[in-house]
Amino acid sequence: MTSRCETTTRTMPGAAVIELSGEVDGSAADVLTAAYQDAVTGTDLGIVVLDFASVVYINSTGIALIVSILARARAERRKVVASGLSAHYREIFDITRLSDFIELFPDLDNAVSELTGPAA
Amino acid sequence: MTSVTQPAHGRPQRPRRLDAFALASEPGNERLAISRVAETASSAGISAGRLERLKTAVAEATMNAIEHGNKNHAEIPVDVEVTLDGDEITVAISDQGGQDAGPADQAAEAEAPDLAKKLDGLQSPRGWGLFLIRNMVDAMQVTTDGQRHTIWLTMRTSAPEGAEHDEQV
Repeated sequence: MTSRCETTTRTMPGAAVIELSGEVDGSAADVLTAAYQDAVTGTDLGIVVLDFASVVYINSTGIALIVSILARARAERRKVVASGLSAHYREIFDITRLSDFIELFPDLDNAVSELTGPAA
Repeated sequence: MTSVTQPAHGRPQRPRRLDAFALASEPGNERLAISRVAETASSAGISAGRLERLKTAVAEATMNAIEHGNKNHAEIPVDVEVTLDGDEITVAISDQGGQDAGPADQAAEAEAPDLAKKLDGLQSPRGWGLFLIRNMVDAMQVTTDGQRHTIWLTMRTSAPEGAEHDEQV
């Protein structure tokens, strides 16, 4: 019934991309922290893209995890952007004010092309 | 919570119970509440956007009941009841944590979540549950009757006129 959070990380010119799938809840803590660590370790990448296109569920604990990732990225002077959120979760990013701190893109291709330019 | 409505075309009607069930207080069982309430609310004709909001509110309220109300004691049930009154769906979620301040009461007394403070380390990253519930449903009420603590979530099946943004999915 549940679908554990899984991540795939990759590097684009100037940006680290973390593609999430499944459910972003309390059980995603270790996976998400490790994915962020993996994505940025040894790099000076200034942008981290969180792609939620394959995420089916985010709860309040998941929101807290995203806040923690954002706080860490800001401390490291990295910008966090998000792509692929459904309209419902975009609304939740709005009411929690996450969208004041995380730029939202409709999908990953759009985010990458906007952030890294046409050569990406 | 008892009320009587007068439909424009007929006799007064009392809220009609659509479903009632109990869940063991085990982490993750909020998914069971989500799927069952969603099925019932869909049958009652709720719009897609409103259904997503109700599902989030039910998830958070059930998690609170399991974790804070019943302290994850699996043998203590979380009771869920869904009623329909006109175009209003009400989901009542009850735990047995009423002797203490209930989870919603505790959260209501806590400082409202402030993202800027959270990012500056001045608030815990957590504490979004009740905030989400309040922002997802049309009305929220909390009652305590002895040990029994209930959160009532009310959602109309469609948005009032002029609130089209409500209907996005």
